[in-house]
Amino acid sequence: MRTRLQIGGIWHVVLILFLVLMLYPLIYALGNSFKSLSESYGTTLNVLPKLFTLENYQAFFNSLPVIRITLNTFFLGAVTTIVKLVTSFLAAYAFVYFRVKYKPALYFLLISTIFVPFTVTMIPNYLFISRLGLIDSVWGAILPQLADAIGIFLITQSMRGIPYSLIEVARLDRLPHRRIMLDIVLPLVRPAVTSTGIWFFITTWNEYVWPVLILKSTEQYTLPLALQMYISAEGGTNFTVAMAVSVVTMAIPLALYIMFQRYIIGTFASSGIK
Amino acid sequence: MAEIKFEHVSKSYGETHVVKDLQLHIRSGERLVLLGPSGCGKSTTLRMIAGLEEITAGKLFLGNCEMTKVPSGERDVAMVFQNYALYPHMTVAKNITYGLSVQKVPKLEIKKRLELALEMLQLNGLENRLPKDLSGGQRQRVALARAVVKRSKFFLLDEPLSNLDAKLRVTARKELVNIHERFGQTFVYVTHDQIEAMTVGQRIAIMNEGRLQMIDTPENVYHKPANIFTAQFIGSPPTNIIPVKWEGRVLWIGSQQFNMNEAWEEQIVQAGCTEVVLGIRPEHLQLTKDPVPDALQCTVINVENQGRSYGVYLQLNETEIIALSDNGAWIPGETVYVQAALERMHLFDKATTETIGYPEGVHADDHLHQHECVH
Repeated sequence: MRTRLQIGGIWHVVLILFLVLMLYPLIYALGNSFKSLSESYGTTLNVLPKLFTLENYQAFFNSLPVIRITLNTFFLGAVTTIVKLVTSFLAAYAFVYFRVKYKPALYFLLISTIFVPFTVTMIPNYLFISRLGLIDSVWGAILPQLADAIGIFLITQSMRGIPYSLIEVARLDRLPHRRIMLDIVLPLVRPAVTSTGIWFFITTWNEYVWPVLILKSTEQYTLPLALQMYISAEGGTNFTVAMAVSVVTMAIPLALYIMFQRYIIGTFASSGIK
Repeated sequence: MAEIKFEHVSKSYGETHVVKDLQLHIRSGERLVLLGPSGCGKSTTLRMIAGLEEITAGKLFLGNCEMTKVPSGERDVAMVFQNYALYPHMTVAKNITYGLSVQKVPKLEIKKRLELALEMLQLNGLENRLPKDLSGGQRQRVALARAVVKRSKFFLLDEPLSNLDAKLRVTARKELVNIHERFGQTFVYVTHDQIEAMTVGQRIAIMNEGRLQMIDTPENVYHKPANIFTAQFIGSPPTNIIPVKWEGRVLWIGSQQFNMNEAWEEQIVQAGCTEVVLGIRPEHLQLTKDPVPDALQCTVINVENQGRSYGVYLQLNETEIIALSDNGAWIPGETVYVQAALERMHLFDKATTETIGYPEGVHADDHLHQHECVH
């Protein structure tokens, strides 16, 4: 009993250490976003501000159309995530349940695109988008991201875990594919779809290189692009404003994560078979 | 009518032939059991009826319609799966009625059928539970209920009791028979358990290595097996198969002679057989310590307590046989004598392993009554 408590204690210490390591940058950013620039440079090790100020947020909101930029970012993230989930789910369904010639080869080919680096497709994609006349449009940033092999892979793996007899029962009941997908398969792979969705959203939200190529005017900017304005070499780094923009950038995905958290855990416990 | 007919049906996966030239006629409204060791093609046969397996060659008829290529949803079959295949995210009631609601069966009718099914299968009070909160027996009954509410003409069951413990299996068997008696569907039941086959089936189709071995009543399957495989597969311990040399009315087992009557001799001649093999069930052998006329001399190898009786392993010339005895007072190494009634023996053509048939007077009828009581 005693040793167990001691081991538990050691684990707690380790976990607390990790927690501090993880949380420190966040608290640091939060704290500095409420400091004046001089205080921030003067008292680097002080996490919390002595003089609480909103001037960094004011500077950010005054110099850029923040609401517009936030909505842009949200729109980019939401549309990309939803469409990508739909395409991934449909492709996974086809890969798992349809009889297709050369299916393993096709699947392998598709999955291998995961290993093609972004830099390889960047220029052809840019040329394509520019010929479509979508430069400086959020749609130009969205379009090349609407299908993703990683999403297909993750959802396919989860779908393969569903006992095939469930689908057979549905077939005997003359269910159309639409019903099998929505009523049977989707609820059973929901944890995988949710976690893949969260991941899609966060990567799109934080995305920098591709949007910076496509989006030119501040009206079309996303939050990571706005952030870059305060830490770029040309503009000089305005550190505390950059921290304020960081906090704004973090807040929305964090809120979404907390909202969807309960979907990520659970549901897998209830397979019902044996 | 709801009969099922296989006409020269084969099923293969590439080079593997799972079902070979199957000719099977399942009568409308009967309870047929497909029985065989694992890998014999019985489940594949059942799944071909449901349309879950494509038929490689031949034709399948359900009722009077050819269904060889018809999709499973249009075949009007209900099926119970070995793993029950309950939707894990749906409650018991939803699991049972989901298929009906998709097919736009009127709500009132769904409710009526659900209530009847819950009642019949003692699931009242469990309607709102999820499958994970049910016991194995309850899940199995939900799977049955879901198949029952479809009111299909064809009721297919793929080893539905194999995940239940022995005690539950006995009650579940009765439930299955009740369902059949109530709705009178054509019942096709796959199992590898011969007791289940004997108790549930009105007829049993025995399969091995993709081929139908025999289809007949449980009585005939036991008493008049069509070939050596059936004789050995049905019954436990399996039928003793003894190589013999046939000469007139005598079967020579090494230097010992086993005397037959005229009827059996004629049967062999009629069958046009030159070499035969003798089959006798262990439970039909009588053991004595003293020599009796017409008894065969054996040496006891060992004795096995099987609870209800003793399995006595014997050396009969070159062949090892087993006899069941009520007492276990047999000493390994001692010489004993076995005899068998002529109406209890089976003769098979050595070349084809098929039965040579049975002479007049050897009928399973006298045992029929006994089996009906089991039902």
